[in-house]
Amino acid sequence: MRGAGGMNRSTVISILSAVALLGVPWVLSEFWTFIAIEVLAFALYAVSFNVLLGYGGMLSFGHAAFFGVGGYAAAILVKSAGLPAGVAFALLPLAAMVVAAAFAAVIGFFSVQRSGIYFAMLTFAFQMLLYTIALKATGLTGGDDGMTGLKPPGLLAQPLYYYYFALALIAPALYLLYRLVSSPFGYTLRALRANPRRVQYIGVDVRAHQLATFVITGAFAGLAGGVFALSTGNVFPGWLNWTASATPIIMAVLGGVQTFLGPALGAAVYVVLEVLISGRTEYWPLAMGVVILLLVLAMPSGLAGLWQRKAAEVAQ
Amino acid sequence: MAELSGHGSPVVKALPAYSARVIDLVVQQLAWVQNPVVVARQLLAGVSNGMLLFLISAGLTLIFGVMRVLNFAHGTLFMVGAFVAASIVALAPQQGAAFAAALLGGAAALALLGAGIEAGILRRIYRAPHELQLLATFALVFILGDAVKLIWGREDHTVAAPAALSGATRALGLTFPTYRLFLIAVGVVVAIALWWMLHRTRWGIFVRAATMDRGMLSALGVNTRRLFTSVFALGAALAGLGGALAAPVVAVGPGLHAQVIIDAFVVVVIGGMGSVVGALVASLLVGIVNAFGILAMPGTAVVLTFALMAIVLIVRPRGLFGAPE
Repeated sequence: MRGAGGMNRSTVISILSAVALLGVPWVLSEFWTFIAIEVLAFALYAVSFNVLLGYGGMLSFGHAAFFGVGGYAAAILVKSAGLPAGVAFALLPLAAMVVAAAFAAVIGFFSVQRSGIYFAMLTFAFQMLLYTIALKATGLTGGDDGMTGLKPPGLLAQPLYYYYFALALIAPALYLLYRLVSSPFGYTLRALRANPRRVQYIGVDVRAHQLATFVITGAFAGLAGGVFALSTGNVFPGWLNWTASATPIIMAVLGGVQTFLGPALGAAVYVVLEVLISGRTEYWPLAMGVVILLLVLAMPSGLAGLWQRKAAEVAQ
Repeated sequence: MAELSGHGSPVVKALPAYSARVIDLVVQQLAWVQNPVVVARQLLAGVSNGMLLFLISAGLTLIFGVMRVLNFAHGTLFMVGAFVAASIVALAPQQGAAFAAALLGGAAALALLGAGIEAGILRRIYRAPHELQLLATFALVFILGDAVKLIWGREDHTVAAPAALSGATRALGLTFPTYRLFLIAVGVVVAIALWWMLHRTRWGIFVRAATMDRGMLSALGVNTRRLFTSVFALGAALAGLGGALAAPVVAVGPGLHAQVIIDAFVVVVIGGMGSVVGALVASLLVGIVNAFGILAMPGTAVVLTFALMAIVLIVRPRGLFGAPE
C-alpha cells in the first residue's frame, strides 16, 4: 500500500514541479525570473557538490574551482575566442563542462590520493592556486576586474528566454546525476563512503571510482558556472576565493545532505535569502553567519531532514 | 605552415634576440642577490613576518591537534586583535605604556572571546561531521568580520609603533628597522614560553596527550572540556597578540584576515597539522620565501606558496613535523 501510494504521490509531485518550473517566468517578474535562473544554476552546483559529499563521503573544499573555471571558460569563449556569437553560445555548455572536467581530472588525480581533512585541504590549495592565477593572468581573465559585459545573443538576452535555456540544460543535468547515483556506480560510491577498505577488498579500484566521481561532478559544477556567468554577464576572481568554498557546503547542509534534491532546495533558500537580506542591509554576511550557526547547532540534517522528521511524526 | 617551419620565419629569426632579452631580464631581476643590504633587509622582513605568522599558526595548529577542528576564523581573530590594539593605542599614541597595554589587551580580549566561542559553539560540534565544523568556523568568519565593520568601520586604521621602537638600529654595519627586530624578539620569547608550557607543565602533558588520544585522556579522568576551552583560549590569545603586534606594520582594515588565514593554513600544512615546532619552522620558511619571492618574481610569488602547499600534501601529507596520517 505504501509503495503504491508513494508511487502516486511522487508522480503527482513530479508533474506539479515540472509545471511549476515551466510556469515560473510567466508568474514571476523579470527580476525574480533572473533570480530563478540563479537558483537553477546554484541548484546544479549544490547537487553536484553533494554527490561528492553526501554520496561519496568526500568533503571537497575546492568545488568552487570548477564552478569558477566553468564561468571563466564560458566568458572567454563568448568574449575572446573570436567566434560568431551564435556559435560561441551554442558551444558554451560543452566548453564549460569539458574545461571544468579537464581541471577536475588534474586536481582530482592528486586529491583522491588523500582522504578526510587532507583531501579537503588539497582541493582547497588547488582552488586557491586557480584564484591567484585568475588574479594574475590579466590578459586571459581580466585579473582583479574579472570579465564583464557578457551577453547571450538575440532573444536569450531576456531573462524569460534565458530561463528556458538554463532549464533545458540544468534539468537534464540533474536527471543524469540522479541516474548516476541510482546506478551500480552510485551504489558503489555510497559503499565507499561507508567503508572504503571493504569496497577495495571486493575488487573495486577505489581511487579510480573517486576520481571518476570528482571529474563528473566537476563538469556539472562547470556547467552551472557557465550558465550563471552568462546570466549575470560577469565572472569575478572572487568566485574562486576562499569564502566561495563554503557556498556549496552551506547550500548542501541547509537543504540536507542525505537526500538527492535537498541541496537544490538549500540553494533556492540560500539565493532567495541573499536577495531579500542583502537588499535591506549591507551586513548580509553577518545574517548568513547567524543562519549557518543556527543550522549547524539546531538542525544539522537540514530542511530535508526536518521535513522527513515531520512526515514521520504525522505518519505516527 | 611553410612560413612557420622555414628559416625565413620571423619567429625563428627573432629567437636569439628574444632569449638574450629573457636572460637580461632574469639578470636584472636577480641583481639584488649581489647587494648585501637588500638581502639582509629582505631576510629581516621575512623572519619578522614569519614570527607574526608563527603566532597565528601556532594557535591554529594546536587547536587542530587537540580538537581536530580546522578553525577558518583564526585569521579573523588575528584581525580582531589588531583592531583592539588600534583602539588602545589611539588613547595615547606613541606611548610605550599604551603600546604594552595594547599587546596585553589584544591577547586578553581574544582569550576571552576564544573561551566564549569554544564553550558556546565549538563544544557542541566536536562529534559532528567535518562539514558542519567547517561551516561553524566559517559562520564565525562572517559574523566577526561584519562585527568588526560595525564596531570599527570599513576604513583602514594606521597604528604608530611607540617612539622607543620606531627608529632604526645599526648592527653589523647595516641599519635595521627597530620594530622588525622587536617582532623577532617577541616571537622567540613566545616560542620558548610555548615550548616550556607544552613540555614542562602538567597542562602541557595533557595537551600533548590529547593530540594523541583524546578518548584515553578523558578515560583517565582528565577534564577534557576545560582543557579544550583553555587550548582554544590560548590559540585565540596568540592570534590576538599577533594581530596587536602586526598593527604597526600592516593596514588595520576589514580585509586583513583573508591573506593571514591563507598563509597560516599554508604554514600549518607544511609544518604538519598539530605540530608547534613545525609551525615555527614553516612560518619562517614561508616568511622568507615570500620576502625573496617578491623580489625574484613580483606579483606571482603567492602562486609559489600554494604550489608548495599542494606539493607537501601530495608528497608528504603529514608535513615536515606532523604525526603520520
